[in-house]
Parts: sequence; C-alpha cells; structure tokens
Amino acid sequence: MSLSELVRRRPPVVTPGEAAPPAPLPTRKIGWRVRLKRDRSLLLMVTPAILLLGVFAYVPMLGNVIAWQNYSPYTGFLHSQFVGWANFERVFSNPLFVDAVVNTLIITAFQLVFFFPIPIFLALLLNSVITPRTRTTIQSIVYLPHFFSWVLVVTVFQQIFGGAGLINQTLRDHGLGSGFDMMTNPDTFLVLITMQSVWKDAGWGIIIFLAALSTVPPEQYEAAAVDGAGRWRRMWHVSLPALRPVIILLLILRLGDALTVGFEQLILQRGAVGADVAEVIDTYVYYQGVVYGDWSFAAAAGLVKGVVSLALVLGANKLAHVFGESGVYKRA
Amino acid sequence: MNATPTFGRLGDHAVDRRRFLGLIATGAAVVGIPGLLTACSTTPPPAASNSAAAAGDVIPKYIPVTYIDPDYPSVNGSVPGYEAIPDELVQSVKDAPGTGVVYTAMTPLWGTIPPTKGNKYYEAVNDLLGSEIQFQITDGNVYGDKLATVLASAKDVPDWVCVPTWNLPPRFGSEIVENVFQDLTPYLAGDKVTPYPNLANISSDAWKFCVFNGKLFGLPFPGEVITDAIFYRRDVLDGLGITPDIKNGQDLLDLALELTGGSVWGAEDLWNSAAIIHAVPPKWKLDGDKLVHRVETDEYRAALEWNAALFASGAVHPDAVADQSGEAKARFQSGKSLIANDGVGGWHEAMRDNLASNPAYWQQPFDPFHADGGTPVLWKGNPANIFSFLKKTDDEAKIKELLAIANVLAAPYGTTEYDTINNGVEGVHYTRGDDGLPVPTELAATELQPTYIFLVDPPISETHVQYPGYVKAASEWKANAAQYATDPLFYAQQIVEPQQYASIGQPFVDLEKDISRGRKDMRDLDAAVETWKASGGDELRAFYQDILDQQS
Amino acid sequence: MSTQTTVRPTPAARRPRRSKHRPAWEGRPSIGGQALKTIVLTCVVLAVLFPLYTVILTSLSTQAETIRVGGLVTVPGELTINAYTQILNGGIVTRAALVSTFVTIVGTVVSTTVSVMGAYGLSRPGSFAHRPILFVFLITMFFGAGLIPTYLLVSSLGLINSYWALILPGAVSAFNVLILRNFFMGIDIGILDAARIDGAGDWRILGRIVLPMSRAVIAVVALFYGVGYWNAFFNAILYINDNAKWPLQLVLRSYVLQGVTLPGSGVGQVDVATGAVTGLPIKMAVMVLAIVPILIVYPFVQRHFTKGVIFGAIKG
Repeated sequence: MSLSELVRRRPPVVTPGEAAPPAPLPTRKIGWRVRLKRDRSLLLMVTPAILLLGVFAYVPMLGNVIAWQNYSPYTGFLHSQFVGWANFERVFSNPLFVDAVVNTLIITAFQLVFFFPIPIFLALLLNSVITPRTRTTIQSIVYLPHFFSWVLVVTVFQQIFGGAGLINQTLRDHGLGSGFDMMTNPDTFLVLITMQSVWKDAGWGIIIFLAALSTVPPEQYEAAAVDGAGRWRRMWHVSLPALRPVIILLLILRLGDALTVGFEQLILQRGAVGADVAEVIDTYVYYQGVVYGDWSFAAAAGLVKGVVSLALVLGANKLAHVFGESGVYKRA
Repeated sequence: MNATPTFGRLGDHAVDRRRFLGLIATGAAVVGIPGLLTACSTTPPPAASNSAAAAGDVIPKYIPVTYIDPDYPSVNGSVPGYEAIPDELVQSVKDAPGTGVVYTAMTPLWGTIPPTKGNKYYEAVNDLLGSEIQFQITDGNVYGDKLATVLASAKDVPDWVCVPTWNLPPRFGSEIVENVFQDLTPYLAGDKVTPYPNLANISSDAWKFCVFNGKLFGLPFPGEVITDAIFYRRDVLDGLGITPDIKNGQDLLDLALELTGGSVWGAEDLWNSAAIIHAVPPKWKLDGDKLVHRVETDEYRAALEWNAALFASGAVHPDAVADQSGEAKARFQSGKSLIANDGVGGWHEAMRDNLASNPAYWQQPFDPFHADGGTPVLWKGNPANIFSFLKKTDDEAKIKELLAIANVLAAPYGTTEYDTINNGVEGVHYTRGDDGLPVPTELAATELQPTYIFLVDPPISETHVQYPGYVKAASEWKANAAQYATDPLFYAQQIVEPQQYASIGQPFVDLEKDISRGRKDMRDLDAAVETWKASGGDELRAFYQDILDQQS
Repeated sequence: MSTQTTVRPTPAARRPRRSKHRPAWEGRPSIGGQALKTIVLTCVVLAVLFPLYTVILTSLSTQAETIRVGGLVTVPGELTINAYTQILNGGIVTRAALVSTFVTIVGTVVSTTVSVMGAYGLSRPGSFAHRPILFVFLITMFFGAGLIPTYLLVSSLGLINSYWALILPGAVSAFNVLILRNFFMGIDIGILDAARIDGAGDWRILGRIVLPMSRAVIAVVALFYGVGYWNAFFNAILYINDNAKWPLQLVLRSYVLQGVTLPGSGVGQVDVATGAVTGLPIKMAVMVLAIVPILIVYPFVQRHFTKGVIFGAIKG
C-alpha cells in the first residue's frame, strides 16, 4: 500500500491542536543501546544542526569567560586577568540597573497583554474573511511595515502624533488648542511604544498563525456547523484549538525574552521621554558596556540575562504542564 | 517573529555620524578647483597656536608651504579662503614615489561604495602614487565595530588603517597602538620630515594630537579651530523684516520666542549653542589651581538653565522636543524652525542642498557673543579628527614608501595632486563649465569617492566658490570668531584615561536632555555630580592633576 | 474553498446574492458583525497603506520637495524617479544583487533543510537523548556570543571574505526549529504509526508524510530564513573586506549615507550640477527596494495558507 493511499484511508479528522500529543516512545523498559539503535535515523537528522550550533554558537560562546575577567580585546581572553565575580557585582550594585530591569518587566508585561494577542485576533479575523481575493490582498498588505526600519516608524509616528504632527496641527488650525503631545509624554510612553510595535510587527506575526490555521481541514468546520455551532462557537471549538499549541509555544518563548524589549525603538525615543521610563536592560548594557568598550561588563550582564531567561522558560513550561499543555518539552 | 532588523543599527550609530559632521566642520577641502597659480610662495600663515610643548621632540618640524595666496588669509588660525579658481596647477611631488606594489588600506566611507575594479579615479590617483592602494571600505556608521573586531586579531590588520577619533577603541593608547602600529617618530620627528614637504605643511597641533605615550604614531586629518556655530535663516528673517542684533543670551531667547507662531517654531534644541555662549569647557577647567570638571562648573549650570528656559518658553519645535535630531536640518532648511546649531561645515552643505531649489536661501551664523553680554570664549576644537596608522613592520623601506605616498596625499589646494584626489580626471570625471567651475560627469557619481582623504589630509582651506558670496561670508565670520578661540586645558594632548572611568559621564548625557525638557531640575544635577565624584570623578581629577603637575 | 457548495441546502442558499466562496454550511453573518469586521479590517489596511504611500511618494519626490515640506511627503508635488535611477545605475548594485540572491537562496536551502531535519529528529519525545538535544537548541536562544569571539572563529576557519561566512554562523535558528517541531508534533500520530507498521523508516515518513502535510509551516520558516539572509548586513561588514563581494543591503545602506557629505567628496558638486537626489528620497527608495523581493516571494508562501491545500497535495 502506498503512503498516499494510507493517508486517504485514514483521513486526519483530528486537528493538530486536538491531536493527542505524540505518545512518548517507551524509555524505561528499553536499554539505551537498543534506543540508540532504534533512534539512529532521528539522531542522524539532528546531527547537521548540532554541528553547526556547536561550531558557530557554542565555540564563540566560550568567549563569555571574559565576564570573569578584566578583558581587553588586544590581550585576548586567553591572557586577560581573572577578577572573579567583580563584573557581576558591578551589574547588580548599580541602582540604575535595577531601574532598567523594572522598566523592562513593565514593558514586557504590558506588551504581553496588549500586543501578544493581536496577531492571533487578526489571524482569526482574516481567516473568517471568505472571499479569497480580499483575504490574500489584506494578508499581503498588513505584513509590510515589518520591513520598515525603526527610524522610519518613529518618524512616521512623529509626523502623525507629534506636537507638530498631523493631528495637533489640525487641532491648532481649528483653534482647538495645541492638543496632546503623545511623543514626549513619559506617562503614555508604554501605550506609544506598544502602538508602534503593533503597527510594525502584528501583521508579520500573523503568518505563523495562518500556517497553523491552514492545517485545519474544512470538514471540521462543516461538521461543527452541521452540529449547529455558530460562527463564534466554530472559532472557539475549531480554529482556536488548532492555534493553541503554537500560541503556547510562542508565549513561553516570549516569556524567555521577557528581559529583551525593542532596543532600537527605545534608544531612538530615549531623549523624547527620558531614561527614567525608556531605560531597559539592553540599552543600559549598551551604554555601560558597549559604548565605553567595557566588554566584560556587557558579557556579565548578558549571562545574567541568559540565566534568568532560561529560568523563565523552564518555569513557564512547568506552568504549561499544570494546564495540561505540553509546552516546549515534557519529561518523558 | 523573525528578529532580523531591516536597517538594524542605524539608530545606535546616528550619534556618531552627527558628531562626525560637527567635528569635521568644513574639513579638508572640497572643490579642488584648478586654478590661478600665483607662485610657490612660502609665506607662513600664522601658526594655528602655540604648539608642541610636551610632545615637542617627537613631532615634525612645521615648514609651511603655500601654492596660491588665499584671498582671505588665516587670522588667528582661522581657515584661509580662496575666492578665485586657480587655472594652472603645480605638481608638488614631481615623481611618483611608489615602487609599484599593492598596499591595503581600511577606511570608513559615508557615501556610495565605488567599484574597485576598473575605477578610473583610483587608477589616476594610484598613478600619482606609483603604488596601488587597495581599499577595504566600510560603512562609516558602523566603522567602530569593524575596527574593534579587526584590531582584536593583528593578523588581519591591513597596511594602513584609518581611525576616527570617536571610534578609538578602548585601551587603544595603552595596549593596541604600540603592539599593532608603527612608531613614526624615527621617520618624521623634527627635521626628519623634510623629505615629505606636504607633511611638514601640517600644523604642529595636529601632529601633537597624533602622539600616543610620547611617540608619534598617527597621520592626521586636520580639523577646524572653531567647530560649531549658531545659525539662523537670514533669508526668512529678512522677509519678516527682522534684523537680529543678539548681544546676550536673553536676546536669543526673545528672538526665538518672537519667531514662534503658527506652524513655525523659533528654534531647534540649542543645547550646543547654550554651551558655546556660556563658555562651558569641553572637559576640564582650572579654577585657581584646582581642576574643575565640566559638569561641576557654573558655566554648565547656567547653560542648562538657559536651555531649559528656551524649552519652557515653547519656542522649540515639537519634533526637537521629541529629540528627533536626525531631521533637525530638514526642519531648519524647510523653515519650520529658524535657529539651529550646527558644525560650521553644515553651512556650505546647506547651500549645496538648497540653492538649486531656493536661490534666496541663506543661513547665517550669529557673531559670537557671551550669554551675559561679555567677551565670548570659544574653545578650540580637536586639532585633528581622524588619524591613520601604518601597520607595524621591520621593513624600513616600506614605511618610507608609505610616508612618501602620504606626502602625495597631503598636497594642499592648488596642486595637481589635490585636484585629482578631489575632482578626479578632467574630461572623465568633470568638464569645465562656462564659469570655469568643474561640472561633474555621471561617472563621477559612481567612481569618485575620495577614500584617500581618510588616510592623511592637507590643512583645511575654504574653497566653495560655487556658492555666490559664501567664501567671503564664511571666511570673514571665521576670522572674526577666531579672535575668541581659546585653548582648552590639555589641548591637543592624547590622554589615555583609565578604563574604569569611561562610563561615569554617561548620566549627564541623559540629564542634559531631561533638564532641558523640564523633566528634571538642578537638584538632580547636584545629585548626579555627587554620584559622579563618588564613582570615580574625584579619582579622575587626581589623575589629570598628576598630568598637569608633570607638565608645569 | 469548499467543493460542496451545491450539495447541502442551507437557509443562506435561499438568498440570491450570496458569495460564491461561502460554503453552504456557513450561515450568513449578521449585518452588525459584518460591518464591524469590515471597519476593523479597513482601519488596519489604511493604517498600513497611508505610511506606505508617504514612503513611496517621498521616494519619488525631489530633494527640494522634501526640504520644502520638511519631512515625508504626503501630497504629490514635484515627482521624479531619480532616486531609483541613481541607485540602479550605481556600478556595483547589480553585482551586489546577485551576491544577495545567491547567499539568500543557498542559505535558505541549507537552513531550512537542516532545521526541518533537526525538528523532525526532535519531534519524538522519549527518543534517545531527546531532552539534552532539545536543550542544546534552547540554550542558544538565550546565551549569545560576543562579536569578537565570533569574528576570531570565522577568521581562524579561514572564512573571511567567503560567502560561507554570511551563511554558516547563523544557519540554524533554534526558534525556527522549535516552530517546525511544534507543527510536526501536531500531526496525527495514527498516520505515522500506520506508516511505521507498514515498514516506512523515519526518512521515508519525513519525506512522504510529514513534509507534504507541513508545507505551510515550512514555507513560513523558509520565509523567515530568507528574509533574514536577505536583510543581513552586519555580518558582511565584519567578514567581507572585498567591496566587490558586498551583499545588496550593504550597498543600499551606502546610498542612505550618501546624504551625509564629507568635505573633499565629489558628491557636493554632483548635487549642484545635476540635481541628483540625496537625503530623504534616497532613503525611502532604499526602503522600497528592500521590500520588493519580499513582495515577489510572499505570494508563493501565501499559497500554502489556503485552507485544505495540504490534503490535496497528498492525494495528488
């Protein structure tokens, strides 16, 4: 029997989302030699990726040893003097660093609520547009801002929302006062940068969700409709479950990135609202470490960030298990 | 999802670019227009300043050479101006000094990358040199990153490396320069420079700035004496019937406010101007016999208060309040804001960009004034803004050949070499227009990117004759301003600060913006100064005090 | 795109003006819902199109026009295609475009192949060393390497000035591998088991079942990689010294810098004499040119988003 016949014989009526997660291969009962032999093709498949990562990610990662050194590029990390945990102490002892961490977490939390769901919502909305031409047209427009540089995004926002921008100028022309300068107001900065992120990247973000939705066989919608489910219930019971695994994955990975928020976007607008609200970990490290060539400091801060991120991912993964999701990985 | 930025790092490095333009001012020399040969006179222009005290023994002897007499001679070290177009050129180096080999050179470039193969411009200059310079060109905005990585492994360092002052890698002076680059003292110090007359024509201050650890390492790209100015749109103000007569800081605040209304604002962010009119020292100042850092001075405080008053008055363009400084020139040139600070080199660039579409365009710098109405103090800019270094080698002949090549590249205005480097080849890269001005060909746009200027440069001259009235106005303004030029403390000295103090000044960069925009006040400044002292400022003071004691 | 429009009569079928694309089982939406949807989508599209319009318009304006308005142009004034001709006439743009195309195609093929294999190899929990291998990927997402160590590595491998230096260091993105793996793990285990019972090995299962069923996500990941390779410029700054080997983005960036004119450069004269465009129009033209290849490629990716297409593919 050919594979295609096989597929036809067993139509996949279960969506990826609702599919039982692949049953773990039995581990305990089988010795590792047997498993090695059994899984050798799987291991062979992973090998190229592991090799590339080994050479191009892990070998240079050894350079992070400078976090424990008083590093100078010319001396090199083989000969620079070791200074113990001094660089880490410098990272933590600076009150400005703590402020930067707080700002970073506030921005992450805000964007998790007001940015993260928007691509999902947009994908579902687009999916519900039935005319293929309209759907594909809109799809191929909304992702374009992703390719604009941040410099341009900020300029565009300034020209629309700035004190001399379209809105305020119109208000002034009609004698309605000078309005509200959103671009320089520290209090609304969170809203501003989230709007910018949504505008730039939400359209690009829907692509993964569209790919996930495309795995839902139309028969499922039909079956649900026949069972009397309205469009909301179909969305809830068919579309969303199809998206769930990828949503969970992205959510966990986003949490892992909790300490990373738009570096370039913030550095461009730092002067407008002040470092008190716009200083985040990456900009702080940039100024303290990179601008002044304090590579050791930058490496130490990077390692701290890495450890925290990894911990967040592991934590989020655990949390996912609690809610019955498989998350990124699951103990077999 | 995909984290790849499109034009990723533009933002981070915009600062460098702006700073660069500010520093360069009119820079080397622009339209090298073939010209009127008067003579190969050697009238010494007034020395740029009292030179070479500490570094006296290692720098080359200053032997000025002039191929054409300037129409506006240098006054107190100001840039000489040439109103006429020389129509006969002197070849300052008779025979090409090179031995026909290929040398590699790494330079930044702020412009389109020219083709390296079959480029007639490169061929013409290389003919003058006798050897070929093969360029490794890097996008100027990220040149610092490239430099820091390349210098990390000496084996990839090319024969000749350009190092802008603002891209000096950390610990350059203490660790890199002596290990990677050639000490030029034995080749150029004192009279030894005489085989290279065009190098001897470069001011002592510029050379002095190339001395690291008591040895001459660099070749300079000389800078302007006065680097910055406060410009206003004279054409617009004329239209409004306003003839500004600014005698002090209050006058400028009043003018900015008067000009504000409708969709026009009086000023951009004038922080640099505030520092100029309050004579804020660039780094240190001697108060009696005590060293006072810039951020501790009354001048700094007064400048901040003045700039905060400007912002508070509402005269600053909202986009400037939002710190969108990248578009500041666009706003100023479009007349949306009418007063702005800029490097003096921004003047002729603005003429270039605007005259074609707006023949009446004129921006004029205010004559220097002090905020309190007294005598202005204008701190001199760096005597050189860019250096180049030769890779360390035992091959004496190679160093001598490279220096002889540098001697060709440093040929001043009025020479064939200067003309070729700046304009390319007549009939290929430009043709002569009716008025004698060179008209560039289409090929010039592609091929003519004078990366040679990043290796070594002659002293600056003002030669923008193509903008009517410009050379006169600029030369006169510069001559007037130069009388107030004052050496800052530690002028023209390469001082390698201990690495641990590198970043303690950073909070003030933020504070200057915060206080100007009314987000913070003088109490925050006091606190920041205390923090600065505690986190190394006082140690830094002691470090400089030591240097001062050694020099007296 | 259901094929059953005519099979099942529904209330909606009674209406004469129903969309031919709406499946029969799908009821007609409420007027309010439809209106709301239209309004939201229109706003979204306008929010994207208006800035896009100003960017394109600015790229087609003269520099004088941008100076007159003092920023991005919103009302068409003096128009010219000079910015584009200036860029496209540049000596090395064509060559750079070829370099970029080559690097992007080779890089995308290498990255996608390696990632798909890696993701499938990781898609069976309980396989040998499954979790440690997963962590090898995961860790690279959070611990980076500095510029200098990476440069020293590339230099010691002799890859300076080699196109491989633009491909290999970033060839595997753990993020993309995890996305692929997530989709692979969603495939109904029944199909895979049945295939295995029929004697198919993992290579055959990957090639004949998993790949055809995962076309959409593979297209997306290939797009991510492709965009990454196409837009990358910083690695070329570090690793490519020979300007003739520069990729397009680096050459285009140099046009953005063109507005910054230095003393001694010939550009100043060019502006006066020929009215060549610099500044804002060039910057915007570069932005537009950078998007064009994506515009060309995107429809090929989008094809795979169409509902139901994957099953058709397998049946065929």
